[in-house]
Amino acid sequence: MSSETRSPLDVFEAVCSDFYAAAREAAAHGRKIAGFLCSYAPQELAHAAGYMPVRVLGRPGGTPRADELIQPFACSFARSSFDSALADELDFLDLVVFSHTCDTMQNVADLWRRKKPEHNALIVSLPTHTQGTAARAYFRAELQRVRERIEALAGAIDDETLRSSIGLYQRHRNAMNRLYAVRREHPDHLNGRQVLSAVVSSLLMPKEEHLPLLETLVAHVETTPAGDDTGETPVPRVFVAGSVCQNMGFIAAIEEAGCAVVDDDLCMGSRQFCMEYADAADPLDALAEMYLSRRPCPAFHAPGFDPGRHLVEKARTARADGVVFLLTKFCDPWFFDYPHVNQALEDAGIPTLLVEVEQHLPVPEQFRTRIQAFFEMLAAR
Amino acid sequence: MSGVLLFAGVDVGSATTKAVLVDVEGRVVAHTVIPSGGKLAAAATVVLERVLGEARVTMENVAALVSTGYGRESVSGRTKAVTEITCHARGAHTLNPAVRSVIDIGGQDSKAIALDERGGVRRFEMNDKCAAGTGRFLEVMARTLQVGLDEIGPLALSAESPARISSTCTVFAESEVISLLAQDESIPSILAGLCTAIAQRVNSLAARVGMMPEVMMTGGVAKNVGVVRGLEQAVGLPLITPEEPQIVGALGAALIARDLGARRQDATA
Repeated sequence: MSSETRSPLDVFEAVCSDFYAAAREAAAHGRKIAGFLCSYAPQELAHAAGYMPVRVLGRPGGTPRADELIQPFACSFARSSFDSALADELDFLDLVVFSHTCDTMQNVADLWRRKKPEHNALIVSLPTHTQGTAARAYFRAELQRVRERIEALAGAIDDETLRSSIGLYQRHRNAMNRLYAVRREHPDHLNGRQVLSAVVSSLLMPKEEHLPLLETLVAHVETTPAGDDTGETPVPRVFVAGSVCQNMGFIAAIEEAGCAVVDDDLCMGSRQFCMEYADAADPLDALAEMYLSRRPCPAFHAPGFDPGRHLVEKARTARADGVVFLLTKFCDPWFFDYPHVNQALEDAGIPTLLVEVEQHLPVPEQFRTRIQAFFEMLAAR
Repeated sequence: MSGVLLFAGVDVGSATTKAVLVDVEGRVVAHTVIPSGGKLAAAATVVLERVLGEARVTMENVAALVSTGYGRESVSGRTKAVTEITCHARGAHTLNPAVRSVIDIGGQDSKAIALDERGGVRRFEMNDKCAAGTGRFLEVMARTLQVGLDEIGPLALSAESPARISSTCTVFAESEVISLLAQDESIPSILAGLCTAIAQRVNSLAARVGMMPEVMMTGGVAKNVGVVRGLEQAVGLPLITPEEPQIVGALGAALIARDLGARRQDATA
């Protein structure tokens, strides 16, 4: 069926049901594919060089090949992504780009380079302290190096094309932020599962194809009249925070328990869209500025940025009744932040629930019990 | 007893299934505990029949039924399913309104709950790693040591000093127990060591929630005096153990059923 006859949400859900189908199809038509393992890896550079950027997400199921090579306390995201590469499921990749967020990803990148030399693994080293002129100059030089590496594989990237790729990504982020704004106001029109499918599909489809679908969806939901207030018991509004989240089952389980997911601070969520492109004479200056001034993920530090205060503000803006931490097991950047961030929420009187999850396994029964208990707790307040 | 209005709570746990009937005043009319076995739905049916028989009433007398526990969705005829966290909080609060913390150790999981002054849940934690710190851990060890479950507590208290069990995993702890036996360690000190190990494990859960007095311990393991003493030491507070610690969840469920029944009557009045 062509995408014209289906609603944007139908297309998004179909894309999420088979992560790499779009990439395989594009590759079969001769398009070069670049895989990304992090929202800090600058997709704009690969896009400008003619690649179709696609997010590597792993996939459901066991990871026996990766288990042979990496220790048990590496997260399920790294393990599953690497396992799918070792199982030759990512052979459509011509390039794969990592960024140095944690030791696990750095070492998986090194292993990937050895095991899959044909993927041309490239690792972007970001400054761990993202503020200041030294960080800016360093990252500008790193982007230049990445650009040269990509150019050596795919030919020269001209500044005009790069600006237009940056512009395309910014337009997409703007549309996504509008989608989030609608969801905050009308979670009854647009649920968490639908928003997650919009996010995840945007990482798997060509941006130029996803953007018009997304803009159609946004225009539709922005103009849908608000439902009548039926006077029913209000549904507890939940904010979800965590690392990667591509398993729709977790968000679905939160909503099945009776909560409305109204906003998030997830890697596969609002952290993809928290950047603002400022036009600059030099596109690499613009990229450096944009990536370093975004809300730092827990793997980075920005002096003056307090992740606890940030989350309290986000939860308050979303009028959240509670915050669910959906933390991928063994994600140490997040787990080191958690006690402080959780305390800030508690001090602000916002109830929280921490659940450790494995992204690539079915939703455990105990997860449902905890979420239901959290719902009962919020509903009784 | 025809015409009498009752409310039922059924708690389908991994090891045992419990049922409680309360009257309109919230007083316990009857309660029953049976092993869950492999079929949760069947266990729920049997426990309900038994408790109704004990009270000499039929389902006609039951105005509302709330199911809880790990098998709460497999109870037929339920008015509503409510999680065991909410039910334990409600049951404990009703037994003793001064309770602000609950530690529940069941067959398959353990949980720590902080309560507000109305018996509502303020915060909770559940074990998520494995069977360590649950009733199953004790069952496995009792089998290895060929000691009855009921004997563990008294034997552990008779030990001069507890053996050191460092493993938090049930399987590894079992092999540690076997090595201790090989070293001629006495059974009471091994049991005391096991009770201390489980208490420390559960205390790390409790500490995350923050234990405020009064603390009540519920669930089948509350019958084990060795674990209760171990937990009191680890938490640093005395524990209240109800007469029937296993039925606290089902009691909470029955009381929630009573709220629902009352609300329904208001709606039809």
